[in-house]
Amino acid sequence: MKARIPPSVGLAARVLVGAVLVYAGATKAAGPSEEFAIVIGSYDILPREMVLTAATFLPWVELLIGWSLIFGLRLRAAAAAAGALLAFFLIALVLVQLKGIQLPNCGCLGDAVHFTPLQACLFDTCLSALCWLSWKSAPARLSLDSWVEGGYTEHANGQE
Amino acid sequence: MDRLPRLAVCALLVLAACAGSVLLARGSRKPFSSNAPRYRTLGPADAKVTVVEFSDFECPACRVAEAPLRALLKLYDGKIRLVFKHFPLENMHRWARGGAIAAECAGRQGKFWEYHHALYDHQEEWPSGKYEERLAAYAKEAALDEAAWQACRKDPAVNEAVSADHHDGTNAWVGSTPTFFINGKRFVGALQLSERGTPFVDKELKK
Repeated sequence: MKARIPPSVGLAARVLVGAVLVYAGATKAAGPSEEFAIVIGSYDILPREMVLTAATFLPWVELLIGWSLIFGLRLRAAAAAAGALLAFFLIALVLVQLKGIQLPNCGCLGDAVHFTPLQACLFDTCLSALCWLSWKSAPARLSLDSWVEGGYTEHANGQE
Repeated sequence: MDRLPRLAVCALLVLAACAGSVLLARGSRKPFSSNAPRYRTLGPADAKVTVVEFSDFECPACRVAEAPLRALLKLYDGKIRLVFKHFPLENMHRWARGGAIAAECAGRQGKFWEYHHALYDHQEEWPSGKYEERLAAYAKEAALDEAAWQACRKDPAVNEAVSADHHDGTNAWVGSTPTFFINGKRFVGALQLSERGTPFVDKELKK
């Protein structure tokens, strides 16, 4: 049996996750990548020579996924990418805890908001749940996908 | 309109939104001054390479960065200029502004670098309850005129000079210390300075 997501819930979920990713990406992309590189480096996951490159591109990946979710462009792919990104962040946070590394800042939302590792894990888990709702809500009426495909079909969303 | 052109329009819309949100977050970048009083500089004034350091005397990472910075200055002795700017992170370091003011007053007696080294070398002892006692001891070791140094510490103009440096750092988007600008290129922390600073200075000197 197919679970049905009310369109308004799907829309709210994808706009919320999208807005968080856009905020996180924009604040990091607007600032110096060398600052964000310090945060990524403190996770001790990536090779040192890759840290600055990751710090330069990761915020733009967050932005692309965030806006794709908000506009509903390639909604399923965007929701899956957001889920994968959040899963990667969660794994990184757990690894840091296991290694006993004290993070000065999780780097989740730039300099403005500082989460403890536990708060960051809870936040990412909630966002992951919203990603799942976004994925389930596709295809959506209020989305660019619907315009690209030339119209929204109730049947495709399981609404009969 | 066909599907493909519509998809292209949507992709452009998303890209424009990405760029727009970054521009919005960036706001208007403000210029920052890399000037400092002569006593807070080292090296020739007409050097081809200028290193501007934003630092906090209570910050352990700044202390760690002292070794690679001194090595860099030694390696390019006579070809490089260092400008020290105060950037006390007061939300984390309670005693940092006081340390900056004390060093600034030592500088006004021509002993900034002696006091600077004393604050970093004894970083584990002065940011504490023995703060006044320790700062006075370093002033004595640096052979400062103690009465003039104490009077200077109470001068609001000195506090304002530290605030002006902090303001410059904020305009330069300094988020953590130490942050170095080598001919305008940013390096944050000891690792970035030691790994990428030397090749960058080499490149700048060859220009």
